[in-house]
Amino acid sequence: MADLKSQTPTQVLDVLGRVCPYPLVLTKKALEKLPSGGILKILCDAPASAEDSLPRFAQDKGMTFEVVKLDQSWEIYIQKG
Amino acid sequence: MATKRLAFIVRALPYKTEASRLALTHAIASQSVEIYLKDGDLVEASVSFIGDGVLNCHKNQQGMKHYGLTTIEGHYKNSLLLDLKVLICKEDLDRLGLTENDLLMNAEDIGGETNAQIVPYSEIYKEMESVDHLLFC
Repeated sequence: MADLKSQTPTQVLDVLGRVCPYPLVLTKKALEKLPSGGILKILCDAPASAEDSLPRFAQDKGMTFEVVKLDQSWEIYIQKG
Repeated sequence: MATKRLAFIVRALPYKTEASRLALTHAIASQSVEIYLKDGDLVEASVSFIGDGVLNCHKNQQGMKHYGLTTIEGHYKNSLLLDLKVLICKEDLDRLGLTENDLLMNAEDIGGETNAQIVPYSEIYKEMESVDHLLFC
């Protein structure tokens, strides 16, 4: 797995405080604008989004991703293919 | 790969029932279901306000003050933030004496880039005719 978290993200998307489905749909929207190869760092504290819908979305789209669990939240890194 | 198009037609007043809030919630939620669909399948949703439903689009709503309910403006603005197509019936605005200045037309304050559109009923009717699923609320 690529070490995405050690790289400088192209964009940071803060969806802290937002619950499903907002983290996913805002991530989709952000990725549409990101250049190919760009890395989106998502700050999220919604468990269902961080552990299920966002990784599932990235996997379905064939994008490289990494989920980092922090104390009360998650950082999700997705690299646009 | 297929796209299913949904149209939510909101006729209900903003606070009398949950109908308009649920319409917006379901339209927004529909944008996340593609992760459970077959490869490449998508869902597109639009929300149209007709009849008394156009009052949902009024700005500076004070639902909490008058009804003890969170304002519907948040849901409405989130739908624009997510680039949903939002149509408002011009004839019904005219009937109620409302103009664009009375309405919440965008969600720029939360980063939205899409505006609501005031259109004649004929446009909303075309939308209804063209979608796969029509939901009256």
